[in-house]
Order: sequence, then structure tokens, then C-alpha cells
Amino acid sequence: MAVILEKQRVILRFNKVVFRSATGHGAGSDEVSLSVCGGDLVLIRLARVEQTTVFADACAGIIEFHSGSVSFLGRKWPDLPPDQANALRGRIGRVFNTGNWVNHLSLMDNILLPQHHHTRRSDRRLCDEAAQLAEQFGLPGLPLALPGDLTAADLQRAACVRAFMGQPLLVLMEEPTSGIFLEIISALMGAVREARERGAAVIWLTRKERIWNDQTLPITRRYRLTAKKLREVTT
Amino acid sequence: MNSEHAIPHEGNDTLHDMPALRRFLAGIGFRTIGLWQGPVRFISDAAAVIRQSCRPTTWRRSIRREFMRQCYLVGAQALPFILVGGIFVGFGLVAQAFHWLKVFGSTALFGGVITTILVREIAPVLVGLIVVGRSGSALLVELGNMKTQGQIHMLDAQGIDPFLYLVVPRVLAYCICMFSLTTAFVAVALLAGFFSGMLVGITQPHFFDFLNRAIGSMGLQTYVLFALKTLTIGFVVALISCKMALSLTGGSARVLDLMPRGFAKSALATLIISIALTILF
Repeated sequence: MAVILEKQRVILRFNKVVFRSATGHGAGSDEVSLSVCGGDLVLIRLARVEQTTVFADACAGIIEFHSGSVSFLGRKWPDLPPDQANALRGRIGRVFNTGNWVNHLSLMDNILLPQHHHTRRSDRRLCDEAAQLAEQFGLPGLPLALPGDLTAADLQRAACVRAFMGQPLLVLMEEPTSGIFLEIISALMGAVREARERGAAVIWLTRKERIWNDQTLPITRRYRLTAKKLREVTT
Repeated sequence: MNSEHAIPHEGNDTLHDMPALRRFLAGIGFRTIGLWQGPVRFISDAAAVIRQSCRPTTWRRSIRREFMRQCYLVGAQALPFILVGGIFVGFGLVAQAFHWLKVFGSTALFGGVITTILVREIAPVLVGLIVVGRSGSALLVELGNMKTQGQIHMLDAQGIDPFLYLVVPRVLAYCICMFSLTTAFVAVALLAGFFSGMLVGITQPHFFDFLNRAIGSMGLQTYVLFALKTLTIGFVVALISCKMALSLTGGSARVLDLMPRGFAKSALATLIISIALTILF
């Protein structure tokens, strides 16, 4: 019973959010309302790559809106003191579209950085978890090279490892299968299933027709964000 | 550190709508605010660094690691360069000072002269300029690239405050390294001076006598000035570089534009701090 209740907990809520226009002045979209509960895998199709970043930033509470608010675990981002907001962001895993890595840190340090910052888990436990996830996503081990020395495919795998580290409550995935759909999809779905089973929510942001039309993916809800409106699509 | 609250300039519509006198007064007001805005922001950032570094919650594992990394980059990696610099300065300065004081029959003043010239003036400025050129430029490029490549945004999105993770450990590491490097520089310069003097027959081969004269002439005031100068120079140089890099807008091509401006600002700040503290003490 407890597990079911946990899964149904609202993790993220968009309450009548109106995004700013590209110029930063005035409303750029209609009201966006959305609730994402524990156990959900929500697929959102967006038209442009910048929209995926803006939407993910909105979920993480790091952009301002024209009106409306976004709540994470029942708390509105703007009402939170900076320290608390940052601590809550530590419970969000994210696969980024751009600017994925701190260039001067090794990939292992990059993967462990949010955990080192937000948790007190021992290095050994963190490394074990990271190595296990790395193996799951098809890496030979925990990558020690600098981000510039790895291929795009391996960086994408490492991005998934980082996103699922530390049992996040919300996973935001901006094009997580970019360039390696076939190689990574089963590992990704495995990680998503584990996350959903422990009560986390997953939001998958994509522009790709292939993913949007893939009926084998266990998506619980699908939305399409057009230039102005977020619309639920039932299939 | 952003500039979203930029002050309206005289070309603004609001200003044009005002009557002439009010426009004139508003112009003076805007210019005055504009003049003080930079220093006030700098002071508030400096206060924020000090405040944050005193909070135990700041020193998480990630920040401790970044602090250690900076100490290694700024301090340990620069040490050989500083030591070689100290040897050259020691050969030149200490030997010359001893030589000329001997010519004028004032070798008793040796300690005082060396203390004043080397410890109070030359060492903090010279090491400061070396740190500015070697590490300050690297800091500008590193943080500038992080800003233009979206890495700062990535840290923010992961709940890692870029000010805490990037600015606080760098500023403190620069302070500590600046003090340590300058101390090493002075020690090596004095040693080199002693040996060079001995080689050419200027100094007597009594090392402890030489050391006593040099150290004995340094009062508490000199020690305080030395510490203040080195710590302040490290603090200001690092903060200037961090602020410049993190307020960068535009593409990665702008990062290269930062370097000469950053070097000039930091070098000037080093000289101003040195002179100001010398006057105060």
C-alpha cells in the first residue's frame, strides 16, 4: 500500500505556467498545466531544441515565467530559499542536451560531482553504484578520461549514468538516446523501470518522430508542446 | 554577478521624456550610480566570499576537492617557477644591496634594507604578478569557457551553486597560495643572496648571522603587512578574474578578449594594493 501511495505522490506540478517570449518580455505561450506523479513516464514532444532545455529548466526551477508556478514535491520553486532549492535540485537527475560536462574534470568526477555535493555517501558506495550503472549502459567501466577524449556515444551513455545516480525522484531526459537509440534503449528502459518502481517520475523530452511514434515504449502520458500550447495526446 | 539590473543610459526613452533640468539631474545620478556600481558589487561579492567561506555547510566534499585542486594548480605547480624566480632575485638584489652597503660602510643597515625592499615591497608584487600571469589567465580561460559552453547552467540545474563551487574555493586557494608562494620566494631569495654574496666574497660564511640580521630587523608590523599584502592580492586577483569570466556574454571567441583586460586589471590591482597597504603601514 505504501508503495502505491508513494507512486501516486505528485512529484512535479506546472500550475498555469505562461512561459516568457523569446525576447523575455511578455507571454510567449498559453497556460501550461501538468502534474507528474511518482511512477509516471511522461513523453513530451517539442518543436525546437531550445524548447527542451527551457522546459527542463522550468522543471528544475531555474528560469522565471511570465506567470504561474512550478512546484516540486509540493513546494513552489520561487518560494524556496536558495539552499533548499539547490538541495531539492539534487534530487533531480538530468540528461542534458548541451553543456553536459565540466571540461577540466574526469568523466568519473563529473558523474560523481552532484553526489559529492548533495550527499554524504561514501566514495566506495558511490563508485560501486556508478560502475554498475556504467556497465548497465554499455560502458566498459567507470570512465576516467576527460570528456573531450571520449566519443559522443560514450558521453551519451555517461550522461545517462549521471542522471540515474543517487536514486533521483525526478529524471529529466533531453534526447537521451541521441545518436545511439538501438544501443542504449533497452538499458535506458531498464533504468527507467527501476526508477518508476521506486516511485520516481521520468520526463522524456524529445523532438524525434521515431520516439514519439514508438508504441513499444511504456509511456504513461504523451504531450505535444507546440509554439504556444501543451496538449495531451491520447493514442 | 549578472547585469540584468543595468542602469538606463541617457539614450533611454524615459530620460528623453523628462524636462531638461530633471534630465540633467538624472544624468548626473545615473553616472554617479554607474561609477559606484562596479566597486559596490565587487565589495558585496568579496563579503559574500568571506561569509560563505565561514559557513561549515559550504565545505562539502565537492567544494573541498575543488579547493584542493586549485591549491595544487596555483600553488604546487607554480612553486618551481617561483623558486627559480626567487633565486634570480636573490642573486641580484641581496648581493647588490650588501655590496653597496659595504661600499658606503653601512652594512649594519643590511637587515633593514633587505626587509624593506624584498619582504615588504618586491616579493608580494613580483609573486602577485607571476600569479596573475600564470594562474589568473588560466582561471579566466577556464571559467570563461565554462560560461560560454553552458557548463555554469549545467551546475545550476544540478543544484550546485556556481558561486560556491567555482568562486569561493578559487578565491581562498589564491589567498593561501599567494601567501605560501611569497614566503617560499623570500626564503629562497635570501638564501640565494647569502650564497651569491659568499661566492663573490661579499658576505661572511656565517649563515645564521646573516639570517639573524635579516629576520631580526622585521618587526610585527612587517609580518602583518606581509600577510595582509599577500592575502589581499590573492583574494582580489582571483575575485576579479572570477567576476570577469562569469559575467562574460557571447560566444567562446569572447574568452580570448578577456585575457588582456583581465591581466591588466589584476596587475593594476596588485600594484594598487601594494602601494595602498605600504602607505597605511
